[in-house]
Amino acid sequence: MPGRNTALYLSLGVVLAYCAVALSAPVIAPFDPFVISGPPLAPPDATHLLGTNDLSQDIFSRLIWGTRATMVLGFLGAVVSVVMGTAVGIVAGYYGGRVDEAVMRFLDVMMTIPFFPLLLVLTIFFRPGIYVTAVIMGLLGGLGSVRIIRSQVLSLAVADFVVGTKALGARDGYIMARHILPNVLPLVGVKFVTSAQHFMLVGIGLGFLGMGDPNVVDWGQMIERASKNGGIVLGLWWWLIPPGLAVTVISLALAWFAYACEERINPRFQVMRV
Amino acid sequence: MRAAYLLRRLLYSAVAFGISVTIMFVILRLMPGDYITLYLEGIYVIAPPEVVQAYNHAYGIDRPLIDQYFSYFLGILQGDWGYSLSYSRPVLDVISEKLVWTLVILLPATILSIIAGIAIGAYSGWRRGSKADVALLNGMIFLRAIPSYWLALMILLVFAFYLGLFPLGGYVSLSALDTGIDPLDVLNHAALPIFTLFLFSVTGTYYLMRNSMLMTAGEDYIVTARAKGLDDMTILRRHALKNAMLPMVTRVALQCAGMLTGSIFVETIFSWPGIGMLTFEALQVRDLPLLQGILLMDTLIVIVANIGADMIYPFVDPRVEVGNDARA
Repeated sequence: MPGRNTALYLSLGVVLAYCAVALSAPVIAPFDPFVISGPPLAPPDATHLLGTNDLSQDIFSRLIWGTRATMVLGFLGAVVSVVMGTAVGIVAGYYGGRVDEAVMRFLDVMMTIPFFPLLLVLTIFFRPGIYVTAVIMGLLGGLGSVRIIRSQVLSLAVADFVVGTKALGARDGYIMARHILPNVLPLVGVKFVTSAQHFMLVGIGLGFLGMGDPNVVDWGQMIERASKNGGIVLGLWWWLIPPGLAVTVISLALAWFAYACEERINPRFQVMRV
Repeated sequence: MRAAYLLRRLLYSAVAFGISVTIMFVILRLMPGDYITLYLEGIYVIAPPEVVQAYNHAYGIDRPLIDQYFSYFLGILQGDWGYSLSYSRPVLDVISEKLVWTLVILLPATILSIIAGIAIGAYSGWRRGSKADVALLNGMIFLRAIPSYWLALMILLVFAFYLGLFPLGGYVSLSALDTGIDPLDVLNHAALPIFTLFLFSVTGTYYLMRNSMLMTAGEDYIVTARAKGLDDMTILRRHALKNAMLPMVTRVALQCAGMLTGSIFVETIFSWPGIGMLTFEALQVRDLPLLQGILLMDTLIVIVANIGADMIYPFVDPRVEVGNDARA
């Protein structure tokens, strides 16, 4: 299929561009995102590229600064989720037996509790900052990764090369780190990208529901403000659309990136139609 | 054998529910800053100690923890899910009232998305690699990547604000005050929420169906059917579709759970008075008893949906039961 590589590099480029914007936000943004920078609800012009909101804050600057929150929510959450998922998944799958049984039963119970409502209850109680939110999302969302990694490790644990290494007297820790881990890494990588995408959407969704960290500019809170304080009724598209569009673009890039990677590593996709 | 399996499954779900209730209790009672104070902060600047005490007594928070736990647990089983702070009504009452409205948009959206997802997914998987498949797949990836809240806002903006085809929100027009609730009027209000929820969940069904079809298309019996000289569409309809649809039973169960989350955003944006909107309101006023009730209800729905899928599955696919016998 032509264009798959293009999609891969294009999406990677978008992700890198977002990272660059996040890192250099203080340099690029023309205004402090919290400061009063002109008249309220001004339409776009040369000084305010996307106008101002009801608090007279520059929307373009807030959009730039919001990239940081998105990156933290997505990638920090994904790191936590993937590290936990991989570690627990490998241990459960490798040892099998009682360890595996205990982990799986625990997961069965935890996974009956719906992720998002539970996250809402935890958020409302802890009132966490953006970093803690990301970690909580990672821990809750990592439960699903444990299952996926574990099922992969189950078959690896009885593969000839693992049994052989064991026969040579290698320790369990060594086998898990040097032989099992490299074999699940591609899967872990894809899981990392899809998790990051998921947590970005969820984290920004929290902001949209008014559960965001008030000390941080995030796109969810921007959309919430815009839709609540007249963005829809007055038809102020430059206030309402950019933050949502920004989420959509990064989410799309990550989705495409994950899909392109998955096609490469998943042999099932290479089975041709008879 | 089937009865024993179901019994085990039921017992197991009961344990899962019990543990969820326990987790909820722990979250509610043992965390920093009890929720009564939290709630009163919203009314008073500094809550008078007597008021806090009176509230604590009324909600039984001054009793020993183990006491509270057992009465909480028994209460849940007896349908006493606590008392909503903001509605001043029993939580279960409020939730069951709103659940009806959620179902009004959730059921049509689920049914439509399953039908459409199966049809498009099956076609896409069967014609793997064709132009239609690539276009559909990319379209679905695109649709799935759009955050549901933003999609809902854009749909609202375009269809209700700019085009004015549908109302901006709510579930009935003001005329309902005089004439009572008119089903057609409700449908008019429900159209956009249903459409949004449909878009939101059709991608999941599509993915699963396409994957399932990809696996099925490589099976030996499909090759046999082809070798017999059956035409493409007959193989698809008579052989491939039926087998590829099996995993959808479980999918439908999971979808019910996933849609509840989606409905929080959709209902909030379209001001639809269901569970999702209720969740949003409860968040705004920090009504924790109500929130934990909603969480319990969601958990219960997931459990019931899973048991339902488990019970239906052996009827749809007899092989599952054979596998069970062999293990037992």
